[in-house]
Amino acid sequence: MNSPDLSKMKQDCSNSKECLEMLQMILDGEATTQQKEHFLKEHLEQCMPCYKNYHLEVAIRELLKTKCTSHAPQELVDNIRKQVSQKLAS
Amino acid sequence: MEEVIREQYSEQEKQSIFNKEFMPHINSMYNFAYRLTLDPDDAKDLLQDTYLKAYRFIDSFQQGTNAKAWLFRILKNSFINDYRKKSKEPSKVDYQEVESYYNSEDVDRQITPDLRVEALQDMIGDEISVALNSLDVDFRTVIILCDLEGFKYEEMAKILDIPIGTVRSRLHRARNLLKEKLSEYAKKMGYKNA
Ligand SMILES: [Zn+2]
Repeated sequence: MNSPDLSKMKQDCSNSKECLEMLQMILDGEATTQQKEHFLKEHLEQCMPCYKNYHLEVAIRELLKTKCTSHAPQELVDNIRKQVSQKLAS
Repeated sequence: MEEVIREQYSEQEKQSIFNKEFMPHINSMYNFAYRLTLDPDDAKDLLQDTYLKAYRFIDSFQQGTNAKAWLFRILKNSFINDYRKKSKEPSKVDYQEVESYYNSEDVDRQITPDLRVEALQDMIGDEISVALNSLDVDFRTVIILCDLEGFKYEEMAKILDIPIGTVRSRLHRARNLLKEKLSEYAKKMGYKNA
């Protein structure tokens, strides 16, 4: 996405609910190329609320990925491996 | 499992599938178990049960299909059958609140005009983790599957046994609820700094 000219952007979105849904579909990798290009080029770069929403959605996803993942305790992993190999051996 | 086809794997093949296709997802699976049960001990038990179940039903796993989705579905079903009742669900009042919120038209309003990217950047602690855990389990689940694990809507529909349209709307609502929680934190942090 190019950096839009912020001063020329619309300050209100007439379609904000549908826009947010489209934005999420794009970020989820579920939109078609056509939908994506249309929305990014024809709307996002001209619409301030959507442009802000886009960055907010991206930031939340990044925060989730850095803060909400975890590692299985090694002891548990070893234990699962052990139990399965015992089943294999039996 | 809905698959009718059953493989007949040799012991060696079983071992290989288990190690190469199932074990690489163990951290994601543990995280899912933990986020569902919200209890480290229950998460351990649930993860272990799931992996042993996966091994037991390995003949219904087709090589070349998505092992991660297959495992997540088993974990989700085990959670519903064995853990959901004893896990720390939100109190009854909270739950009713969530349900009425779920069913109201209000959820579709634009609710987060005051949540800014800058506020998120100040959330360097466990705010987002606490916010995620505070959501009703159905909402929590779709955010984990989509935003953390990168499942497609279609895969989520299979894992959760719900239509794709429901995946989409639940996800949309879950994200609104998460943003609402985050903007509450942002406000609190704002007051603190003021
Ligand atoms: Zn817009």
